[in-house]
Amino acid sequence: MSTVKTHMRDMLEIAQDEFIMRGRIRDILKEEPKTILEISEILGYPSREVTIWLFGLRRYGEVEETGRPDVDGYFKYEFVEKKEEEEAHA
Amino acid sequence: MKTDKQKTDYDVMVVGAGVAGMETAASLGDMGYKVLLVEKKSSIGGKAILLSKVFPTLDCASCIVTPKMAAAAHHPNIDVKVYTEVDEIKRNTDGSFAVDMHQKASYVDFDACTGCGQCEEICTITVPDEYNYNLVTRRVAHIPFPQAVPKTAVIDRRGEAPCTFTCPSNVKASGYISLVRAGRYKEAFNLHIENAPLVGSLARACYAPCEEDCTRCGKEETVHIRGIKRFFSDTYYEEHPEPEYGPVEEQLKTKVGIVGSGPAGLSAAFYLARNGHQVTIFEAETQAGGMLRTAIPAYRLPNEIVDRDIKNVTALGVEIKCSARVKSAASLKEQGFDAVFVATGASDERNMGIEGEDLEGVMGCMKFLRETKIGDVPDIKGKTVVVVGGGNSAMDPARSAIRMGAKRVIIMYRRSREEMPAHSWEIEGAIDEGVELMELSNPKSFIGKDGKLESVEFLKMKLGEPDESGRRRPEVIEGSETTLPVDLVVLAIGLKPSTTDFADEIESEWGLLKSDEKTLQTADPAIFAGGDCVTNPTMIVNAIAQGRRAAFYMDKHLKDESLDAPFDTDFLLEKTDKDAVLEESKNFKPRSPVLQPMMPLEERKQTFDCYESVMTEEEARKEAHRCMNCGECSQCMECVNVCPAFCIDFTMSERPRSLTVGSVVLSTGYEVLDPAAKELLGYNRIPDVVDGLQMDRLLAPTRPYNSVLRPSDGKEPESIAIVLCNGSRDHTVCNPLCCRIGCMYSVKHAQLVMGALPLADVTIYYIDIRAFGKGYDEFYEQSKGMGVEFVKGKASRIEQLDNGNMELHYEDMEGEGGLGKREHDLVVLTVGFLPNTEAFGLFKPGELEGDEHQYVREVDPISEPGKTTIDGLFAAGAIIGVRDIPDTVLHAGAAATQAATYLKQTRGE
Repeated sequence: MSTVKTHMRDMLEIAQDEFIMRGRIRDILKEEPKTILEISEILGYPSREVTIWLFGLRRYGEVEETGRPDVDGYFKYEFVEKKEEEEAHA
Repeated sequence: MKTDKQKTDYDVMVVGAGVAGMETAASLGDMGYKVLLVEKKSSIGGKAILLSKVFPTLDCASCIVTPKMAAAAHHPNIDVKVYTEVDEIKRNTDGSFAVDMHQKASYVDFDACTGCGQCEEICTITVPDEYNYNLVTRRVAHIPFPQAVPKTAVIDRRGEAPCTFTCPSNVKASGYISLVRAGRYKEAFNLHIENAPLVGSLARACYAPCEEDCTRCGKEETVHIRGIKRFFSDTYYEEHPEPEYGPVEEQLKTKVGIVGSGPAGLSAAFYLARNGHQVTIFEAETQAGGMLRTAIPAYRLPNEIVDRDIKNVTALGVEIKCSARVKSAASLKEQGFDAVFVATGASDERNMGIEGEDLEGVMGCMKFLRETKIGDVPDIKGKTVVVVGGGNSAMDPARSAIRMGAKRVIIMYRRSREEMPAHSWEIEGAIDEGVELMELSNPKSFIGKDGKLESVEFLKMKLGEPDESGRRRPEVIEGSETTLPVDLVVLAIGLKPSTTDFADEIESEWGLLKSDEKTLQTADPAIFAGGDCVTNPTMIVNAIAQGRRAAFYMDKHLKDESLDAPFDTDFLLEKTDKDAVLEESKNFKPRSPVLQPMMPLEERKQTFDCYESVMTEEEARKEAHRCMNCGECSQCMECVNVCPAFCIDFTMSERPRSLTVGSVVLSTGYEVLDPAAKELLGYNRIPDVVDGLQMDRLLAPTRPYNSVLRPSDGKEPESIAIVLCNGSRDHTVCNPLCCRIGCMYSVKHAQLVMGALPLADVTIYYIDIRAFGKGYDEFYEQSKGMGVEFVKGKASRIEQLDNGNMELHYEDMEGEGGLGKREHDLVVLTVGFLPNTEAFGLFKPGELEGDEHQYVREVDPISEPGKTTIDGLFAAGAIIGVRDIPDTVLHAGAAATQAATYLKQTRGE
């Protein structure tokens, strides 16, 4: 799945999918950091929708980007163990 | 007539707390006037606080706007009321204004909320984030944006979810569904017991009225709510064979006696014990559970589940005394119980009053089911059984008889199948298992020999006119007597309340005990009665609801508190408009239901084991995912559980207020044209076509992404097109006005993009550039110097290419002329603006005049800026026409001065 033409689902419909998809995205990123396109490919969902779900996770600190984008302009994102982070701060 | 300052609540009310409103309020506050600043959203700041930077100085928008927000919020002369809508404004004869308004229910105590955001993080419902112009999602419990003032959360609710609303005990089905979807099963269980403690029994035997009212029925079919409940209750009971809790710490000395251990009695005991009362249940049978244990066949509700449910109650210290029939509530009071709850149920059998009913081989359905359930099984293998009746209580013995090996099982019913009160799926289940339906037939007598049943003589019936129940009345066909050899007849013609023991001490009617509908208190203040003995036989969940209600008011009684207190059902919102939810989701893809796996038919007929299997975790979450979030907030209560300030309150309601003010300033801003109206430009069709406001969010420090990325795949764009004049100066969308700020904010976008993405190419397609303000032309020239390409051309169409990029078609207005096309990987549409016409609705029709474009009309923009057609009412900022921030600030100052002058004049100062 990539950026090629796809039917754009309604934003509300995509939002309703978020709680199902976030677990799957977390599991994918636990293995190794990935770009949105790579996550999209694994999930089989359009990259636009993955963008929305991924940044829903990032908003609450569950994923973050790793360094600079690659030569094609894509960032990789990694899973953040929130508990460990909190303990480290403690 | 002069206005009496003492009679006004505020000198001035300013409606709308964007830049204009905040500036007006601050100016008037500085002059010493008491100002009420009203904002319908939960934060002040308007649209400007969401911008990236401002032109032409490229100052950070937050740096410009947050000081104004803080000034307004902390000014000693300004009261800010957010989440408040003005309903009506009337000018009084003395020149002051009468105002009706209401503060919307935010379900968060603004004074107590610390803005920690924990409610938002734990919330289980996501919706599009309007503060990021739908580029990402937010939760329904949310703080609108990081710089919000006040920085408090609000919770979106548009009504009670139909499932929750319909449930007699208002079990928050939408809440536990959202928890299952989020993978929080223990939390789902804990949410359920807040409204009904017998989770396992309901998961298997509830008739699930919630499913009948599910909005999803309007699309494919109901969400299988009971199946989801079965999943989390089984999961929880497997992981927790014993409850995780014990008696509550604070034990009271008050003693409560409960008569009957059915669902009503158990539920009342549960909630009373949670409040620290000492509860004893008296049960006439040898084991607790009432009808759950004795009347619901094991293939639907095994006794192990009833036992585990009862542990939820006894873990709190509730004592259950079995084989302890109580014949008088007063006797319990004499034994020292401070209050008594009579919940004896309705398990007494009705009889037909025909010959032969006393024969061996004729029995009531309760007796038959009881003997079947507790193991004293009648031997009916290879025999013929007739069950008389057409309700659910007829289906259970019929289906049980099949499992007990009966050769032939017949349900005899005097009306036709269509009139049967049993659920259609129950009837279908019975027929599938081999039960025969004998419609329009009714026993006339039971014929026996030596006291033992041998046959039933029955009459054929026909349907006449409808009776008071609306069903067609059965009428006997004379001479139609027929005899059917039979070994066992089970009468399932109805049950009556088990109340004879209490008839002398509690008022009753037709056998039903009488208690107050709201409090369930009887004429004796210490005696309460509820459940089937008050309501007649209904569903388990009805009895649970009665028990919960009784516990609430018994607790009040025992604590000498008023019984006028509202019960939690009094705080229910109106049921969500299902049609509106269906309309909103009309383009959503169908979501096929997950069907609960069933035991194969032949197998199920041989056993009393449950024929419904439990869903797997994946299936349960998939099914939960079909929920349409009808009420927005699902009331999963996770926010309540996590809030450190205890500031979430779902009993909150809208707070109306009426007041008088000396003058009013309207500053409700403008609306943004939906770029989807320009269909050929691809907005809402091509993901990387965004509008100007979205571009501002992408560029803002509080941006939704980690960088300036295109929405389709998170790529940093390399070639960005900014297209001016979309829906402004455009008669095709009925908006002939120049938006006045589009050219400059687009130049701002171009400069900011070049700063954020130095290697990106930026092209601005324009008709003409309007750089009329101080420093604007220099700003424009500066962008050209930075390398922004300006193409004088009108964009006509944008198409998505196979590589995901966009091809922009335009009319080249200079250079070589003709039609051109270029490829870009992000397109920004600079959109037009529209008047906000809400303000006109606050006055009598026609009282507040608009100009020809429906902006509020300034009567004399040159000599009296901000003055409207209503004396004493002023308008500030974009409500009279869109303008940039400096001009808005100037205009707000003028409006403030006008209002001050008016106050001085009307007060004779």
